[in-house]
Amino acid sequence: MKENHIIDLLENRSFASLNEGERAAIQAHAANCLSCARAYEATRVASSLLRARASETVEPSPFFHTRVMAALRERQNEVPAFKRLWQSAGALVSSMTATVALLAVFSFIIPGTQTAGTAQASASNGYSAEEVILNQNDLQDEQASDAQVLTTLYSADDSGTR
Amino acid sequence: MADRQRSVRRPNIRKGTLLANSNEQGSEQGSDLELAQLARAGDESAFAEIVRRYSPRVFRFASKFFRQRSVVEEAAQEVFMKAFTQLGSFEGRGSMEGWLTRITTNTCLNMLRSAKRRPELASADLSDDESTWLENQLSEVAAERHRSSERSFVAADLADRVLENLSSDDRVVLTLIDGEDASVKEVAELTGWSESKVKVQAFRARRRMRAAVEKLLGKQLPPAVAGR
Repeated sequence: MKENHIIDLLENRSFASLNEGERAAIQAHAANCLSCARAYEATRVASSLLRARASETVEPSPFFHTRVMAALRERQNEVPAFKRLWQSAGALVSSMTATVALLAVFSFIIPGTQTAGTAQASASNGYSAEEVILNQNDLQDEQASDAQVLTTLYSADDSGTR
Repeated sequence: MADRQRSVRRPNIRKGTLLANSNEQGSEQGSDLELAQLARAGDESAFAEIVRRYSPRVFRFASKFFRQRSVVEEAAQEVFMKAFTQLGSFEGRGSMEGWLTRITTNTCLNMLRSAKRRPELASADLSDDESTWLENQLSEVAAERHRSSERSFVAADLADRVLENLSSDDRVVLTLIDGEDASVKEVAELTGWSESKVKVQAFRARRRMRAAVEKLLGKQLPPAVAGR
């Protein structure tokens, strides 16, 4: 048996699946071949290791299913990142719309309300807004006449003192 | 505590049973399908029943790939999370056990892939117990005498350390085929690989495993062998 035959046999199948005849043939060859003997020993030990490892099992704790259900609920409550981003964007757009609407109210509706209020106030005073604006000249005339009165009075005092 | 929780016994997964046959399941499979349908419809208790029923199986299978209890638990939890989201894909044609085993295999494979591979293990890294175990293995008489110690904690620990030096794909095929006696066909079904890929992977994995063990044995080879 060539060296390769043993190596191929060892590598093609699991060690446990080799039958007695195959093992005997391998051992017979390994008795006269150092590298095959080493390969055989290493394969046998590797197989023992793997089977020892396979024999170990871990059993679930009694609370495992509770933990899974809690994790499941938590995951279900989690909002996906994209959805969260979309919701944030939606909130931003909504707040911007509300701000624009508020500004529009302040710009167009409130001033109108103020004019109406001024008109009401003027009506209660007996003066209309137009009258107040148009009679500015009258006011100036009145102020001028007061100044004239004062000038006249001071000049009269001056002449009396002299 | 951890040792007590780890039951050391031959797994109940034997050749030809890794993917449970739907015919063997009978009425339970019928109820599995009902449970899956109820869970899909939003019945939380139905899914809780699936978890309760299959968590031992998922744990046992995940513990073939991971040794730490916390990691096994993490893997098992992820399996059930995936199972919940993929309930629609379970149509009852196969068994739920087989379906969950496939999810477990893929989850464990992904976790192994993301884990960092350890540097090569040298004989100098072995503990006294591990060296003794290897010495015993090299003596036929001692190997017979210590047959029961094959399943010992030391051997399992050493196996894990050797496997950590191999790739995730190597670990999966070695664990399933050489450790669990799974067939090439079963591993192909579990992993989604082609049968030829499984064969090639197993061939290469055995070569790498053998080389790693041979290196560890090194000077410990018995004179009868080493002297030839």
